[in-house]
Amino acid sequence: MDETTQKIKAFIVEEFMPDVPVEDLDDDFDLLTGGVVDSLGLLKVVAWLEDEFDIGVDDSELGPDSFRTVAAIKAYVDQARETAHAE
Amino acid sequence: MALTAPTGEWTDEQKSLRKSLSQHFEALNAGHLEDDAANRFNRDKWQLIRDSGVIRIPFAEQWGGLGHDVLTLVYVLENLGYGCRDTGLLFALATQVVSAAIPLQKFGSDDLKDRYLSRLIDGEIISAHAISEPNAGSDATAMITTATEDGDEYILDGKKIWITSGPLADIITVYAKTGTAGGAAGITAFLVPTDTSGFHVGEPIEKLGLNTCPFCELEFRDCRVPKENMLGKPGAGFFILEHVMNYEILCIFMMMVGEMEERMERCIKWAKTRQAFGASIGSNQYVAGKIVDMKIGLENSRKHLYDTARRFNRGRSVTTEISMAKLITSEANVASALSAIQIFGARGYTREYGLEKGLRDAIGAPIYSGTNETQRVRIASMLGL
Ligand SMILES: Cc1cc2nc3c(=O)[nH]c(=O)nc-3n(C[C@H](O)[C@H](O)[C@H](O)COP(=O)(O)OP(=O)(O)OC[C@H]3O[C@@H](n4cnc5c(N)ncnc54)[C@H](O)[C@@H]3O)c2cc1C
Repeated sequence: MDETTQKIKAFIVEEFMPDVPVEDLDDDFDLLTGGVVDSLGLLKVVAWLEDEFDIGVDDSELGPDSFRTVAAIKAYVDQARETAHAE
Repeated sequence: MALTAPTGEWTDEQKSLRKSLSQHFEALNAGHLEDDAANRFNRDKWQLIRDSGVIRIPFAEQWGGLGHDVLTLVYVLENLGYGCRDTGLLFALATQVVSAAIPLQKFGSDDLKDRYLSRLIDGEIISAHAISEPNAGSDATAMITTATEDGDEYILDGKKIWITSGPLADIITVYAKTGTAGGAAGITAFLVPTDTSGFHVGEPIEKLGLNTCPFCELEFRDCRVPKENMLGKPGAGFFILEHVMNYEILCIFMMMVGEMEERMERCIKWAKTRQAFGASIGSNQYVAGKIVDMKIGLENSRKHLYDTARRFNRGRSVTTEISMAKLITSEANVASALSAIQIFGARGYTREYGLEKGLRDAIGAPIYSGTNETQRVRIASMLGL
């Protein structure tokens, strides 16, 4: 597991699924449909991503799919880093 | 007196934009108590707002905007809040800036911008936004108004309530559930002209304050909206609403800071001249202390709002900051309005002095833009509680 994914999983588990071992959280587990991350949770994830990865979160690009799974969040972080790098 | 300049480096252009509004104060204030008593939105004053160009400030020049950032906008609005006593009109102005034009500029397609943006920022067409429902207020994500995909259209069905400027609006940003996804993930925003078939606008609902800006109920029955009228992506409504609410709070509450400053100045003047027991009432520490608390409340609000606006301007998230700024300012304004009435005694209690209107207008703020209780819940959640 790469470092970014590891960090995202650790955050999600600590904040939203404290009873679940990190290794049990699949990259593709649907965090939204299962109600794991609710509306306040989404805001928390956004604020954490900004702080942890020092990325600006452009909300014009945001939709629920950006945060549906750990894999989607990781893809979002990668893209934000790429954009920041290109600027 | 003139409004205290907030800390920060302001360019000559920003300063002159802020000052330019002062020329309209007298006309904006003429007859405002009568308009309030008659629950009347004053079209002539709306024209003045349009002519002042204030709606144009945060929009791109391509659409007829002035191309300024949110910090400039709130810097100018603070002065308008200071000079204009028609708080309902200012509420309609803030709604005009944030409800449709802001999300359209950021999330809308070019085609949709071509159709509406220039007219919105000119003020020629009036806008509103519809989130709240009879059974989903604080918990907006529990809304049940649906938008069902059907070919090239979405069909809206449901009810909205407490829609500021609803009775006046030509176009409304409607937040509705698309698909079956629950919670925040299933909300989508649409720009809907009020003359669309199946769109029913209710009568103004009488309320305590902000009486020069009406609100009402809306109903959608088989109301068909072209897909192109969607703002952002399907399901992105929650993020759009967050963006809009940040703007809304910065705009409305910064005007409130100006209002608090003007009210405090009135109180100082009165406390220095009104005599009781052979001395000015302001020489009494109970009275002076109230004015000191007004000063602390307004400076605290100003600082939080400008700090939040700066952070927001840098593209950073302001989830905790905006909640704190909203809470602090709305509570400071209610306290300031109550103190002013007390300091003016029976005069403060009369319609003529306008201070009771200040209190009636202030009481709405802990409710709208996310109740103060839900703001506290947000802050607690951000703290991991
Ligand atoms: C002047 C004004 C203008 C408005 N303009 C608009 C508009 O343009 N568009 C629009 O869509 N809406 C608008 N609203 C509606 C506004 O957004 C709602 O009134 C607000 O979200 C609260 O919803 P509610 O009134 O249904 O209260 P409820 O949700 O029924 O709440 C009632 C009380 O319970 C408290 N409460 C609820 N849940 C919790 C909790 N979890 N913890 C602690 N306390 C809780 C609330 O804080 C409140 O004090 C406006 C309201 C006002 C007063």
